[in-house]
Parts: sequence; structure tokens; C-alpha cells
Amino acid sequence: MTAEKHGGNSLSESLTDPDGILSSLFFSSLSVFLGLASAGVLMLFLGHSPAAVYRDLFSFAFRDVYNIADIFAKAAPLILTGLAFAFAFRAGLFNIGAQGQFYLGAVTSAACALSFPFLPSWLLLPLCAAASMAAGGLWGGMTGYFKARFNANEFLVSMMSTYVAVAIMDFLVRSPLREAKGEYPQTDVLAEASWIPSFLSGTRFHWGFFLALAAAGAAWVLLWKTTLGFRMRAVGKNRSAARFAGIREKNVFVSVFLVSGAFAGLAGFLEVNGVQHMVVQGFNPLLGAEGIGIAVLGGAHPLGVVLSALLFGALKVGGLLVTQTSSVPSSIIAILEGFVMLYVILSFYLRHRLRRACARRRAAAGGEAP
Amino acid sequence: MESPHTEALSLRGITKVFPGVLANDDVNLSARRGEILAILGENGAGKSTLMKILYGMYQPDSGTVSVNGRTVGIRSPKDALALGIGMIHQHFTLVPVHTVWENVVLGLDSSSGRPSDGKGAALELEKLGSRYGLEVDPLAVVADLSVGMQQKTEILKALYRSVSILVLDEPTAVLTPGEADNLFGFLREFRAAGNTVLFITHKLGEVMEIADRIEVLRGGRNAGSFLQGEVSERELAARMVGGDIPPVGEPSVRPAGRDVLEVRDLWVRGGRGYYAVRGVSFAVRAGEILGIAGVSGNGQEELADCVCGLARQERGEIRLDGRILPREDPGAVFRAGVGYIPADRHREGLVLDMTVEENLVLKNLSAYSRKGFLREGAMRKNAERLIGEYGIRPPLPGSRTASLSGGNQQKVVAAREIEAGRKCIVAVQPTRGLDLGAAAHVHRMLAAARNEGRAVLLVSTELSEVVSLSDTVAVMSGGEIAGIFPRESADLRTIGLLMAGRKGEPS
Repeated sequence: MTAEKHGGNSLSESLTDPDGILSSLFFSSLSVFLGLASAGVLMLFLGHSPAAVYRDLFSFAFRDVYNIADIFAKAAPLILTGLAFAFAFRAGLFNIGAQGQFYLGAVTSAACALSFPFLPSWLLLPLCAAASMAAGGLWGGMTGYFKARFNANEFLVSMMSTYVAVAIMDFLVRSPLREAKGEYPQTDVLAEASWIPSFLSGTRFHWGFFLALAAAGAAWVLLWKTTLGFRMRAVGKNRSAARFAGIREKNVFVSVFLVSGAFAGLAGFLEVNGVQHMVVQGFNPLLGAEGIGIAVLGGAHPLGVVLSALLFGALKVGGLLVTQTSSVPSSIIAILEGFVMLYVILSFYLRHRLRRACARRRAAAGGEAP
Repeated sequence: MESPHTEALSLRGITKVFPGVLANDDVNLSARRGEILAILGENGAGKSTLMKILYGMYQPDSGTVSVNGRTVGIRSPKDALALGIGMIHQHFTLVPVHTVWENVVLGLDSSSGRPSDGKGAALELEKLGSRYGLEVDPLAVVADLSVGMQQKTEILKALYRSVSILVLDEPTAVLTPGEADNLFGFLREFRAAGNTVLFITHKLGEVMEIADRIEVLRGGRNAGSFLQGEVSERELAARMVGGDIPPVGEPSVRPAGRDVLEVRDLWVRGGRGYYAVRGVSFAVRAGEILGIAGVSGNGQEELADCVCGLARQERGEIRLDGRILPREDPGAVFRAGVGYIPADRHREGLVLDMTVEENLVLKNLSAYSRKGFLREGAMRKNAERLIGEYGIRPPLPGSRTASLSGGNQQKVVAAREIEAGRKCIVAVQPTRGLDLGAAAHVHRMLAAARNEGRAVLLVSTELSEVVSLSDTVAVMSGGEIAGIFPRESADLRTIGLLMAGRKGEPS
């Protein structure tokens, strides 16, 4: 009897544990399923059979090697902007400015590649990567510094800093970095030495995906194996206890935003050197916002972020082809993503309620053991 | 004219149970019209619970409330106000950015017959103010007002709703002496108009000054009801703290030694900017538990915070083994050998969403890391050892701290702090919210630390805890040390008087 009850408790506990892998997996899958169902209802209103649309979507996404490879190409930068949000979120901080950090990483990487086209690939690529991380990191670090120094709200500062970053990028691609022809607000095509080598030739799947995976691994190590991670998790979960323990939260704010911004900046390197091979004004305008959704769906865990980014990549590839080949409006994919986010956020509330209910039942059953 | 209607209010057999706490146990209380009734008791005596029941914020588990001779069910503050019961909380319920009149009409019932427009309300407020000596500019913004004026605003808010029974919860705690005199003047006026005042306090001086009748509560029960003039302060103090001598803990094994923690002329500001600690000096010797008794909010927590590097010290000095302790650097104080068991373990002592193992090294991370990486093996070994020594259940280093019971959570804090407090341990309310078994365990741990020759500074609002555990008892009141006694000569009546803000004349 007691053992049985205990077993039931541990199952309900692991399902409602805010950090548990099992609970995150369960609620995220549920959210994805409900998101698909809700978008399906909308498709019915539009006169499309959801079953047919989803069948097409998945068959397109996995139709051939090119499309499958494209999923990985699309997922790579999403992993990084997802990590940017997730990493700061672990410290209880909101980095809403991944888009701006990504843009500055992108232009810096392009500027590097355009300035040193004569360098060999093995030198130029790491240089571009480092430059993009430094640019994104410093731009993000600025938010952390303002929070530490002036107690500014990091949510607002990081969000508004994106607009500044967009303006800086606009300026750069219109003046100093503008293409030689001077026709469009974009840079020249980068020297081939600065292109990230393709993983599967004939596709857009490049080695940058593995760099994103390595970044996810690094985020995991930072979070759970280092003192910085320990401190930032403590600050994130209970700021006053962290202060009581002598943890200097201001240092944590700056460090977290430096690292978080560096992840987003690296996404700029991946997109510029791996896919576009140039910078076009205002490209990939939703990468930062999608990163937030991916981080939330992935439970702010690096592994969850990778899986969610792959899911979003597949939805993008399949969704694009479905909407191109049928009369389904392209916004349905964005709506689908929106529904999934909504359900994930609702599930946090549900989990919280469940956990409280469990705790109450346990207290009522046995009270406290000394 | 004596008639049943002179009784404005009566509470009969009120019992209220919270999980693990019997807050009110068959409490009876009545108040007449034209009377100021003081409700006197220590922290946790059940005063506030009783008043919240009266104001409809809690529902009693049993018992009845009657107003003007009629049994009533008060489900919400709105019901209470409709019955003419108003309450002035210790923490004001005003909207700081709004003006006085806006605050007064906020939530006003249209059936009250009072104007709710700016002009009408301002006029009414000026009338009420001049009648009761509560002049406040109706157009002033609340945030710009002094605390005393804000309290007047709160009272006006209640009067505007035509209350005839006014409940004040420790109203003088935030006032200057002059403001308190004004308040008492108002209360006398209000009484003279045939109204009833319930005055919750733990200060004997106020009771003697203002009350017509005194109801003493202790441990959630009635502990005596007296008319003004027929009882002495001494008697009231004894009723308040209880006459029974608490069980005596194990005596100190070895005689107390050198001074370990020395505090000299310490001044610390509290949350509202005034001095919460006013020139406190004492010393804790090796192998000694110095217990600081006192009603909460008399500067004890600020004192402990300051010793542990969490609050700014405006004046004075704190020495550990003769050396000045680092200021405002909790990490450095910890490394110097001072452990701190804070009053609120959930907010200050633990990160509940982290594991037991992580919480056990929370303060001492540098010892469990190398070059920025955590030494997980060392963390695990530390956790296993402490879990064994302190009997933390379940004995799993990796379990989330939130999943532990309150007593085991407190053991985690105590294990970490006692381990680190090689020289000195500061414990504030270390057994708050624990059941008896868990509390006894924490007491044994503190006594063991003392027996090892460490200095222990214990702060508690539970007098029995202080007296049973301490070698030396100090009483703090109004930010000052009102008296220090060796335990053998600690007289509960004297301590009670000191806690209640009276200078105890010895004998």
C-alpha cells in the first residue's frame, strides 16, 4: 500500500517537476500535438483537409535528401538563438534581443570575411566565428551591464537594443559594407575561402550545424558543470538566497548576457558564411523570436532546444513547400508555431497547478516527517 | 442605561486551525460601545488571526461572531464594513500614487450615502478631519505623506464608511511618539462618540495609557481579562509570557571562555530608513549560547543581518576573535567562520529548485570547484557526510530540496551553516514552522555546536526557546538591548516587562 502510494507520488512528481526531463518531454509533445490539432481546425475553416495538409507537409519535408538536409540547415541558427534565450532564462533573465545580437554577429562576420579575403580558409573561418561571437556577446553584454549598473529592466533593454542593432546593420549595408555595384542595400558575395564547407554536397546542410550542436553541448557544460552555471542557476531560482550566499548577482548578469549574446552572434556567422554568403538588409527577421519559442518548447534545456529547433526546421521546410504547391496560405505555419507556443506556456501553468495539488494531497495524507 | 445593546461586539468560542498550528483555541471576547479594548499578547498569541476573522479575511472553524447583539457571518471585509467594522492594518493598504480622497473613495459602496466625487469627498473629509483631529489634505498624493499622515488617511477611509467598531493592529509600531499621542487623542474622541476600539498591541505602556479593558491572549487562548486600574503591569506581563518555567535545556558542558563575537555600539537602519538597531553592544563567548528574546520587529533581524554582512552598519563595530568582520560581504563573513541560519529559509537560506547537494555547497562554492569547474565528486562526498551526520531525509543528495519536508529543509540549512560556522553561528528563528521533533533536532544541533566551544547567537521571538536553550538571555526592545541576564537569574516576569517595552526595575 505504502509502496504503491509512493510509486504513484514519484510518477506524479516526475511529471510535474519543473526541471524534469520526463515532464518536459511529455508536456512539450502534448503541446505540439495540440498545436497541430488547433491549426488543423483552422485549415478546416479554410476548406482544406488537415490530414491531407499534414501528410503533404511531412512527405515534402522528408521527400528527398535535399529537403531532409535543408531541415538541418534551417535548424542550425534556430538552435543558437534558442540557446541564447534558454541560457539567460536559466538565470531568471530574459534576453529578448537575440535578433539584434544575431544581426550584429552577421555583419561583423561578413565584415571580417570582406576585409581579409586573402586569408586561408582555416584561418578566416575561425576568425569570422570568433568575431561574430564577440559582436553578439558584447551587444548582449551591454544589456547585462545596464542591468547590473543601473538596475535597468533587461527585458526592455534587450528588446529595444534590437532596433538599434537593426539601424546599425542598415547603416553598414548602405554605406561602408555596400556592394561594389551600389545597387541594393547588401554586401558583396563573400570570398569562397570564408564559406562554411558543405556537409552534404548539393544541399545547404553545412558543417555549421555541428558547430551549433557543439554550442548546445557547451551550454550544457556551462550550466551544470561550472561555477558560473551554478551561480546563475542559483540567482535564477532564488535571487535573495543567492545574495545571502554571497553570490554577486551583478557579475552573473553581465556574464550571462555575454554568453547568451555570443550564441546569438554565432548564428549570424552560420547564416552569413554557411547559407547566404553575403548580408542582405533585414534578412531572417524572425530568427530571434523563433528562438524564444524554441527555448520555451525545449524547456530551456540545451537538448530540448536542439530537438525543438529540428522540429521547427522540419515545419519550415515542409510548410514552405506545402504552401507553395497548394492554396494553403503560408501564414498557417506561423499560426501553427504560435499555437504550439501557446500550449507550452499553458502547460507551465497546468504543471504548476498539478504540482501544488500533489503537494497538498501529500500534506493531507501524511503531514511532515521530522 | 444597561441593555444588551451596549455590547457592540462579541466573539464566542472562536477556534481556527492552520496546518500544524492551532491559531485560536476557543477564544472569547466582547467589547462594549464607548470602550477601548486592548488585546495584548506576544507574537503568535493569535491576536492577528482573531482580528482577521472579525474582519472577514479568515473564516473560523467554529465559534460565532455577533455584532450589536445579532449573530452574523462575516465572509469578507465588505461584509465587515457593512456591519460597521473597520480595520487599520499594520501595513497600510493605500495606493501610493493616488491622492488621499481617491484612496478614500476607492471601492466605496454607492449605498454608503457618502459622495464619491472629488469635490464632495474633499469637503466631507475636511469635516471628518476637523471633528476628530485627523486633518489631512484630501488632494495630497499618498506617497508624499509621512507615515503618520498615511495612517490618518487609513483611519479616515474607515470613518468615511461610518464604522462604529475600529480595529487597529499594532498602530503605534510605525509612529513617532508625537504621532502616537495624536492617535490616542483621536481614539479618545472616537470613544467619546459612543464607538468601540479594539487595539492590538504588545506594548504595556500603551495598554496602561489608553485601554478601558484588557484582554490577554497567549498561545491562541484567553489568558485573562482585566479592567483598567485593577491590574499591574507586572501581572499583565506575566499573563502575556506565561508563568510556567519552560523546560531547561542541557547546561553548558564547559565554562564559557573568551569573547568570540563582539558587537559594540552598533547602529543599523531598518527598511523604512529609521534606526532599527540603536547602539547595541554585547559579546558572545566561546561555548556560550546568547539568546536574544523580544517581540519581532524590535531590531533583532536587522542586528543578525548586519553581523552576517547583509545590512549596512551605520556606526559601531563587529569583531570576530578580536578582528573586525568584513562589512556588507556575506561571502567574506561566511569564510571568516560565521554561519547564519536566516529567519526565512525558503527565501534566504535555500534555493528550493536546486538539489540538496547543491544547497549544501551554496555558500562555499570556491571550496568545491577547480578552475571554474565544479568538483562533483567532492560535492557528493560532502553531501553524503552531512546527510548522515544531520539525519536529512530522504538521504538522497540529488533530490530537489523543494521535495523535502520543512524540518529536513531546515536541517539542510543548519548542516551547511553549522559546518561553516567554525567560530560562530547566528541563528534566527531556527525552529519557526517546524514540528516538535524537528525543532528538538535543531536545538540539539545548536547545543552540540555550543558544546564544541563555538559561540552561538540565537534570535527568537519564542521566549521559551530562548530561555531553554541559552546560557545568557538578552532582551531586545525598540532597537536596544533592554537587559542581559545569565539564565539562572532570568526571571520571566522581568523579561516579559522588558519585552513589552517597560524598563524592568530589578527585584
